[in-house]
Amino acid sequence: MKRLGIVYHPDYLLHVPPFEHPESPERLQAVMERLEKAKLLEKTAQITPEFADEGDVLAVHDRKYLDQLEKACRRGDMTLDAGDTYLCRHSYNISLLSAGGAIAGAKAVAEGSLDRVFCAIRPPGHHASRDVGMGFCLLNNVAVAAKYLQARFDVGKILIVDWDVHHGNGTQSVFLEDPSVFFFSVHEHPTFIYPGTGRRWEIGKGKGEGATLNAPMAPGSGDDEYRVVFDQVLTPAVERFRPEFVLVSAGFDAHADDPLADIRLSYEGYRYMTRAVIGLAERFCGGKLVSVLEGGYEISSLTNCIEIHVREMLEE
Amino acid sequence: MFVARRMQKNPVTMSPATSLYEAQEMMRARRILQIPVTSEDGRLVGILSDRDIRGTVLPVGMIPGFTAEEAEKFLKNTPVERVMTRKVITATLTDTLEDAIGLLLNYKINSLPVVDDENRVVGIISRTNVLEAFIEVTGMGVVSSRLDVVVPDKPGALAQLVGIISSFQVNITSVLTTGHLESGAMTNFLRIATLNVGPIRKAIEEAGFELLDPSKFLSR
Ligand SMILES: [Zn+2]
Repeated sequence: MKRLGIVYHPDYLLHVPPFEHPESPERLQAVMERLEKAKLLEKTAQITPEFADEGDVLAVHDRKYLDQLEKACRRGDMTLDAGDTYLCRHSYNISLLSAGGAIAGAKAVAEGSLDRVFCAIRPPGHHASRDVGMGFCLLNNVAVAAKYLQARFDVGKILIVDWDVHHGNGTQSVFLEDPSVFFFSVHEHPTFIYPGTGRRWEIGKGKGEGATLNAPMAPGSGDDEYRVVFDQVLTPAVERFRPEFVLVSAGFDAHADDPLADIRLSYEGYRYMTRAVIGLAERFCGGKLVSVLEGGYEISSLTNCIEIHVREMLEE
Repeated sequence: MFVARRMQKNPVTMSPATSLYEAQEMMRARRILQIPVTSEDGRLVGILSDRDIRGTVLPVGMIPGFTAEEAEKFLKNTPVERVMTRKVITATLTDTLEDAIGLLLNYKINSLPVVDDENRVVGIISRTNVLEAFIEVTGMGVVSSRLDVVVPDKPGALAQLVGIISSFQVNITSVLTTGHLESGAMTNFLRIATLNVGPIRKAIEEAGFELLDPSKFLSR
């Protein structure tokens, strides 16, 4: 059995939508209830995160954006700009706690006190770029964790695998010109779904050319198509890149039952992807793996997927 | 939309006396395939394409004794006016983008010089510029989701659809409409500025419209 950590904080439920919205506190509540009921909490270490240090967040986001976000929450704005990314009075603080959750997970694994960590955090992060939040995301949790590992633990090369059904456009933009972070995103084809980026010719820029890899999937794709991508596209790329740490932007909205997309992964598909990233972490990174929750909006498939994801990482 | 909005302004031009060698170098340096030829007062007198040059010089090695040096000498000594196309298909400033597309397609050419009333070259519009315009029309690259909706081919159908979307306070970033597979129906392709398409999809279906399942079209 692996030493697995679960990052969670009850205050994650304080980021509350002012209108009906799929990214709700109930998602995380249901996830934690499931982990408890499945007796997975007792087999894992509970990590209670703290707010991310401003310095660690500023490694990814602009000061101006943070100020803007904080002010908007204090003013009582309901959304960021005109979009569907909602805010409440606590949202700024909870987004710092969410980024802090990804940091806490990264820290525990980097220090060696745990083998792997799953971060049950919200709001999600992978659509947030340096100077703008969007797509339900305020701060880019996984990007903050990657920069934190490089700054505080001297980790060189990091692999980020983003299997949320939407393209991780925020994460891609943060590391587009950075050769030290390999960003891989597999998602529904951008012609059919938000945010409309992540085409196969988006491969990074300047020094970062070749360190971004996108696998757009036709609507209706499922386990078989994803398996081919993991085995024949991701694995050879990782063999060339040789990362020292693996971070996962784990969205569970690619499951067939999720209403926001047209990808038809089954539970076995999620099991396969989890085993694939574990395998890559074992081969190249001494097993160092941190998975960070992104999307997933249909409660039943979300909780089932996460139970499988966590069990696979635990290796009971 | 008039061609002026999409053309490249101040395009490279050259005089009829320019050598083919120079013209070839200009094309290589600027990665272009055609150069309009103008008289001293800027009036269009012809156009030279890379194909015109290739048609003039046989590949080195085809004729015994015709060396690379000789080919270069020939190109340096031949002015473009000897091989350029004199009857140029052009667009005018009052032509629209549709006119330009029609001309490019009908004459199977890559680009059109755009001329003013005095036949002076003021721009050039290429197939690439048309593709760029098309990309903008599709809304590609703008952060948004897409909905493909089949609507009956009758007045008010699109308005009803737009009404549903606007009731969710969501912005529409682009709309494309084409005929559907069967007659009497149209397909509307809308890009909308939200990730949260679930409730909107549901409302559209409840209003009696058919949402296209893109995966069904993969095998057609
Ligand atoms: Zn997502």
